[in-house]
Amino acid sequence: MNARMDTQDACDLRFGQVGIANVRIRRVDAAALCEELERRVRTAPQLVSRAAVVLDLSHLLDLPDDGTVDALLEAVRSAGMLPVGLAYGTSEVEALSRRMGLPLIAKFRAAYEPADGGSIAPPAPPAPAPAPAAEAPRRAEPARQEPEPFAGLGAQHFDGTVRSGQQVYARDRDLVINGAVANGAEVIADGSIHIYGSLRGRAMAGAQGDEKARIYIHDFRAELVAIAGHYRVFEQIPKDLEGQSVRCWLEGEKLLIAKL
Amino acid sequence: MTAEIIVVTSGKGGVGKTTTSASLATGLAMAGKKVAVIDFDVGLRNLDLIMGCERRVVYDFVNVVHGEATLKQALIKDKRYENLYVLAASQTRDKDALTQEGVEKVLEELGKEGFDYVVCDSPAGIEKGAHLAMYFADHAVVVVNPEVSSVRDSDRILGLLASKTRRAERGDGAIKQHLLLTRYNPARVAVGEMLSVKDVEEILGINVVGVIPESENVLAASNAGVPVILDDNSHAGQAYSDTVARILGEERTMRFLDAPKKGFFQRVFGG
Repeated sequence: MNARMDTQDACDLRFGQVGIANVRIRRVDAAALCEELERRVRTAPQLVSRAAVVLDLSHLLDLPDDGTVDALLEAVRSAGMLPVGLAYGTSEVEALSRRMGLPLIAKFRAAYEPADGGSIAPPAPPAPAPAPAAEAPRRAEPARQEPEPFAGLGAQHFDGTVRSGQQVYARDRDLVINGAVANGAEVIADGSIHIYGSLRGRAMAGAQGDEKARIYIHDFRAELVAIAGHYRVFEQIPKDLEGQSVRCWLEGEKLLIAKL
Repeated sequence: MTAEIIVVTSGKGGVGKTTTSASLATGLAMAGKKVAVIDFDVGLRNLDLIMGCERRVVYDFVNVVHGEATLKQALIKDKRYENLYVLAASQTRDKDALTQEGVEKVLEELGKEGFDYVVCDSPAGIEKGAHLAMYFADHAVVVVNPEVSSVRDSDRILGLLASKTRRAERGDGAIKQHLLLTRYNPARVAVGEMLSVKDVEEILGINVVGVIPESENVLAASNAGVPVILDDNSHAGQAYSDTVARILGEERTMRFLDAPKKGFFQRVFGG
């Protein structure tokens, strides 16, 4: 054995975030699924051909039997994508994933458990995409049963300037900053963000995945803005936006910024 | 009786904290106040050099904090003003030698001794030494140079002053913050190589209490162990005098903000 000679471990085990496509099944119809996916692969082969995907069965009223799930997985494969696991799900899906020998890829499993053994709960907002959201305060505890986060809480107000190195987080609500946000400062909200001074630091709205969240800035000089994990960094502030009052919102996957 | 405690701080090193502490303490003493100036930079003591009393240090701040000497033994009387005292830092210890209780005790005792002002010369950084220097403060003079990294560090310090001090923790009302711009070179500002007063005020969101022009006299005064405020002929000395007056509540217009080599006609016709 030369184990003594080895100063390094055989491998590193690291946890990171990777983007992964989600195939959400709306109908149990393997042939239609295959056809649909083949069409997608043809239109954007660079993007989705041989892409790793997870199968999301949470939209189906009843969980299909093992044979049907096998057929669905086969349909995905024959369309040119690579299914690597099952998404989200209840304990039934978990059992299914064990039988299939596939991993269950889920963020907050408990959130998808039917409340009283009835129908499957509505799908929660998608988990925040990678990158800057990683810095947002993450909660280990599962999301709430009823996703009604912004009801009746009102906004959180912050008077004065958020200084470099400070972080302000409005949980489950909007955030209003009366002063400026300095370089190296961060303001984060699960709802929308309003900044009445200048934004020179970072603002992240919809930190829990609310894609309807928006950011309003009186004087735009941001380092970074993000909504529901979709972010833009500004190495150079666009000349037409610098110092202007702007709003930021999400259109699909795209974070848009426009003068007010 | 309690003394007004003023911390001179910046975050970034080399911006002029010790120079400012020495001139501020001397200026307050010139105005007839009883003043002590304390060097919190344990391990890198400099204030005694700038004050010109380095050969008279027997006991230091750390000795007093640890009860190895009395405050009276450690306070060094300035040779120019009898109501001005220096408490030097220890060069052989490190910043962990200071404790919050020890610092509090020294500051209280200075109040009982009838001191009007205690000027705390903070070390650079945001660790223990800097934290203890600012923790008990009533006023803060944040020293900033007209360049981006200094401005950002000052911003960080302003945030800490608003959250990590005794006044903030007790909710006794905010520390009075004074922004002091040092090493200001109007000629370089004019050609866009340096941030202007307006830029700095805009980024930090507070107004400056003084602008000290970059000057060769500062270095000469430091080397001679004479606080530059005593050099009446230098612009830097005069600017420090103005600053001290403003901190004491006087109104004075800002001087030395324009490049000195402006032509006569330009000046007359408001160029």
